[in-house]
Amino acid sequence: MIELHNIRKSFGEIEILRGIRLSIRKGEVCVLLGPSGSGKSTLLRTINGLETFDEGHIIVDGTSLGPISDPTREIALATIRRRVGMVFQQYNLFPHQSALENVMEAPIHVLKQPRAEAIENAKQLLDRVGLGDKIHSRPAQLSGGQQQRVAIARTLAMNPAAILFDEPTSALDPRMTAEVISVMADLAASGQTMIVVTHAMGFARSVAHTVHILHQGQIAESGPPKQIFESPTHPATIELLAQTA
Amino acid sequence: MRLKWLVVSAICATFAANCFADDALDVIQKRGTFIWGADQEGGGPFVLPSPDDPTKLMGFEVELADLIASHLGVKAQFAQGQWDKLPDLLSRGDIDCVLNGYEWTPARAAMFGTSVPYYIYELQLLGRRDDEGLRTWSDVKQSADGRKKRIAVLGGSAAHEYLETKFAESVDVVNFDGATDAMRGVELSVDGVDGNLQDLPVWTFFQDGFPALAAVGEPVGRGYYVGLTRKSDQRLRAEINLAILKALQDGSLRRILEKYRIWNATQAQRALEIDPLENFVGDETKSIDANSAAEATETYEAVRGWKVISQRGGLLLKAALMTVALAVVAMPLAVLIGLALSLMRLYGPHWLAWLAVVYIEVVRGTPLVLQLYVIFFLLPEIGVSIHAFWAGVLGLAINYSAYEAEIYRAGLQAIPRGQMEAALSLGMSRWLALRRIILPQATRLVIPPVTNDFIALFKDTAVCSVITVVELSKEYYIHARSTGAIFELGILTAILYLAMSYPLSLLAGLLERRMTKERTS
Repeated sequence: MIELHNIRKSFGEIEILRGIRLSIRKGEVCVLLGPSGSGKSTLLRTINGLETFDEGHIIVDGTSLGPISDPTREIALATIRRRVGMVFQQYNLFPHQSALENVMEAPIHVLKQPRAEAIENAKQLLDRVGLGDKIHSRPAQLSGGQQQRVAIARTLAMNPAAILFDEPTSALDPRMTAEVISVMADLAASGQTMIVVTHAMGFARSVAHTVHILHQGQIAESGPPKQIFESPTHPATIELLAQTA
Repeated sequence: MRLKWLVVSAICATFAANCFADDALDVIQKRGTFIWGADQEGGGPFVLPSPDDPTKLMGFEVELADLIASHLGVKAQFAQGQWDKLPDLLSRGDIDCVLNGYEWTPARAAMFGTSVPYYIYELQLLGRRDDEGLRTWSDVKQSADGRKKRIAVLGGSAAHEYLETKFAESVDVVNFDGATDAMRGVELSVDGVDGNLQDLPVWTFFQDGFPALAAVGEPVGRGYYVGLTRKSDQRLRAEINLAILKALQDGSLRRILEKYRIWNATQAQRALEIDPLENFVGDETKSIDANSAAEATETYEAVRGWKVISQRGGLLLKAALMTVALAVVAMPLAVLIGLALSLMRLYGPHWLAWLAVVYIEVVRGTPLVLQLYVIFFLLPEIGVSIHAFWAGVLGLAINYSAYEAEIYRAGLQAIPRGQMEAALSLGMSRWLALRRIILPQATRLVIPPVTNDFIALFKDTAVCSVITVVELSKEYYIHARSTGAIFELGILTAILYLAMSYPLSLLAGLLERRMTKERTS
């Protein structure tokens, strides 16, 4: 479904991604863990082109995305971004639109869905994330947890092959984190392909199929959560688990 | 007889010109109107709004223009222009002739066709009746207290030149913008002004309005008011000359000048005064009685008090509509151009962004009046003629677009980067994301500063008077100068400007409140 081949990226002198190889199957829930500065957010953002990279290539659902020097990048991105959704730490809802308008915006203007159909879909999705009664609220009128659930519904409206989550609960208090995690767990159970950068160890432990530990721009250790959490081998993993335990 | 010679030569010129180029005369006769330019702001006795019916014009040049037009078999049509820009209007082709107290000078004769003089003017020194220090011209040369005399003149006029050439050592010349302003300046001793060197006809026309002023010494610096035409319009000039000479002969010019109290012995002597220069041929009008004292039939009376409001208010209101039209058409244009510029600067390829920066810096760094002047007077040089109103709109739009571009740039940059990222990751193109997500938010942000600029633009429309557009400020100056009701009309003008800008302030406040409600509640 998604393959990363030897991705390298530098900010000036500092090499932030140092030859990352990663493969995600369809329906797989994959969690990237690592200390801040390990490059996990940057890595996630290379997949839908919000960050460029210098070397290597990424294949998403059969479309190949090259490094910054590749002139066909923009064309590939146009395809990939329709197939891969993203949920942000700061939700990034459109403040001038209601929850419903946020969700139906892309289906109408990108997929050219008929308006009535887009509205019907959007209502169902907002219902699915538990916000059926908030469809006419503006983002400013919603709590952080509610906003993040609207953002998830907005991404789902594009019927994506995979969804990238960039620390989706880091800006939320524990109660609101639970709301969002529960929606994400439901998604995972429905077979949605997901790549999640998070500090929510509970989610990684109970929902993820695969956990990757990033350390200094490289993948230090990969495996099912049971193996990573119960018998870590790499010193970076041990240190990370010790800090968050 | 010189007159006969002139007729013959005019006929020859007519014949010769016919063989070569188009002459304005043909255009005038085809059009049916003789378009002549002057500045109403100059006021009496030249051209001013009539005290009885301010929608109509009066003045000896108005009647002279009618006389010339009827000689040409057409109707006279007045065109308003700023006095010092009238020759430019002539070169632009907007008018056929300038009749507005333009003195004959060798420089003007070299650049334009100059008619025979229709008036011989002299310069009269004016001082305050109670000022013992200024009683004769020798007081000007050698002041009793050793202080240099400060003498007011109309900037760029013959009086200005006279003082600069003859009294440069002993006089401080103070430039005023209008003839009556200079007299008022002396009356009130504005900026230490002692006297005013004034065109004699202006003084004779206005003297009742300035009882505190008195003539000092004999008139000096004789000169000639002539009509200006384009140099190439030889047949038109010949016909204008014929019309003036005919009017001198049959006494109709004298009747006009007497009506405005500016006939004097000098006019009668003119046959002896005039040199037979190429464009400047004298007359032999023996029929004029050199000693006749002018009998005033038309006197200047300032309409003071609030009565002036009911008489002129309607005209100011009409001029206010012009101000509104200029602002309302120019502002949306400015916002659109500004938006395009800000997008070019922020999202365009390097060369386009660079172009936008150059545009913004050049337009912001040069005065509006210069931009208007370039659009109006220089574009015709490369074959693009543009109506004064649209030149005004274009100039204002271009000038304000630079400011709107910077406002929009700030607005666009204030939108968090996450908004663009969210839109892109939903599969939107950059352009779609801008249009649907970024611009609507930026537009809400820029409403208060843009409204602020809109209010400023209402006031900047006044600058359009340099390109002959008569809007509220210009109309105010015209009537304030011709009536002296500076205060009364000033109050009305201020109220009219407020009536335009205050609703905008209210609207801006309303929109702003709605916007904050949207973001927070």
